[in-house]
Amino acid sequence: MKVTTEVLLVDDNPGDTDLIADVLERNDRPIHVHSVADGLEAMAFLHCEGKYANARPPRLIVLDLNMPRKGGQAVLAEVKSDPALLQIPIVVFSTSKARADIASSYQLGANSYVSKPGDLKGFVSAVTAIGDFWLDVTNVPWRKEQ
Amino acid sequence: MAPIERKSDSGHWHAVRGKAADMTTTGAVRASKVSLMAESKLKVLLVEDNPADGELILHELRRGGFDVEGEVVATAEAFRQRVKEGTPDLVLADYNLGQWRGMEALEILRRENLDIPLILVSGTLGDVTAVECIKQGATDYVLKNSLARLPESARRALKERKIRQGSRLAHEELAKKAEELARSNAELEQFAYVASHDLQEPLRMVANYTQLLAERYRGKLDDQADKFIHYAVDGAARMQTLIQDLMAFSRAGRQESNLKSTDCNEVVKQALRSLQVAVQESGAIVTSDDLPVVMASTGQLLQVFQNLIGNAIKFRSTEPPVIHIGKERKGIEWAFSVTDNGISIAPENREIVFAVFRRLHTHTEYSGNGIGLAICKRIVEQAGRKIWVEPQAAPGTTFKFTWPAIALETSA
Repeated sequence: MKVTTEVLLVDDNPGDTDLIADVLERNDRPIHVHSVADGLEAMAFLHCEGKYANARPPRLIVLDLNMPRKGGQAVLAEVKSDPALLQIPIVVFSTSKARADIASSYQLGANSYVSKPGDLKGFVSAVTAIGDFWLDVTNVPWRKEQ
Repeated sequence: MAPIERKSDSGHWHAVRGKAADMTTTGAVRASKVSLMAESKLKVLLVEDNPADGELILHELRRGGFDVEGEVVATAEAFRQRVKEGTPDLVLADYNLGQWRGMEALEILRRENLDIPLILVSGTLGDVTAVECIKQGATDYVLKNSLARLPESARRALKERKIRQGSRLAHEELAKKAEELARSNAELEQFAYVASHDLQEPLRMVANYTQLLAERYRGKLDDQADKFIHYAVDGAARMQTLIQDLMAFSRAGRQESNLKSTDCNEVVKQALRSLQVAVQESGAIVTSDDLPVVMASTGQLLQVFQNLIGNAIKFRSTEPPVIHIGKERKGIEWAFSVTDNGISIAPENREIVFAVFRRLHTHTEYSGNGIGLAICKRIVEQAGRKIWVEPQAAPGTTFKFTWPAIALETSA
């Protein structure tokens, strides 16, 4: 059986998460995309708490910034200051093009920042690029069976 | 008797007042003023080392109709403390005090930022010194041998201060209004920006998913479904450009702090580079005067030139566009012009063309949302200048706008 790779999507817009998952899973890429709607759920997933007791550490986190309860910046800060989690690449994927948002995301340790393009074509190609690079091109230090 | 009466009074003002008051307890003027509030008394601070002179001075003021409370200080330190704590209405200072001079009192008032009129009262005061004292900020000088002049001088000093305070109040009021206006403008801009930004999100969903629907299901439903989807996709796309235009408009109104020396020749060149495709497709010929260097946010000035030249190309007649960018010095400002040989604007539309989302043509005739000129107007007005359509006989159109003609010597 093929080992699937876990990808965590943190975004409160189901329209976006569906489309992102759809694009990332194209070409039979062996991944499982798990979507959560805010930062609190994301942290619960990463710490395997509650209903996420059996969650596996993701190979990539795709993170929106503007979310209810706990936003993307807070998630970034927590993950990147936790030795157990900080190696997980985080791609911030937000509609914001504000320089302040981009700068603070990188300062908090984001691995890259991509603005959500306003049109479908741009959106699909951006997600395709994220998947190609972070899931196929890059290496991660942890064991394969994870 | 008088000193005992005044014992109940608090503060430092009683020291001389008791004695000086004795001299004037008679007379109707004083009697009528006893019932007045304490604030109506004129608080006078005397800088004087001769108590007899001090009393004489107060006496003179009372004779002139003032209800006076007087206090005497003789040292600079005491003076500094009393002007701050006692806030006298008037300072009467002897010019020569032995250890220090009345002029130093002026310096102290200035340093403490106190607007209290000071009149120099002195036994001897040369003409040169008198002029010097007035220059330093003394309201007047009165010689001790002509003290009768003092009440009139005091009256004038107090009146002048009242006027000064009035104008300061008016000034503060104006500054407050300006600040309120700036704040409300900033809030409005922020609102427009946030509103359009937040509108984009749900709209992006509509646009994305109608497009996805079109891509995946075109031809799989019936003809009518395809048409419906097309309308939805088209409507969402148009709404998106409208919102983007609205955001551009709200950004254009933001006050720019990064003004720098900007060569308008370079700005026009850059505008033409951006419009390259349109210039080539239309076969436009664009000429320009030698343009000046002005202080501007380069990006904003570029937007103005680019929108005007872009319009000149877009709204062309059947002829290839011939466009000229001109300049004319008008006092403290430059008047720039963009003249074309395209379709002209009817006189009744010369104002309307600058309104937001105002279009004079259908989408099939000419594309666009009607934001370009509104943005130009906003930018030019932000710089405190004007933009207008020059009245002229057809054919063609001339847009003119002014810009401040201040340029730094050194380039930024």
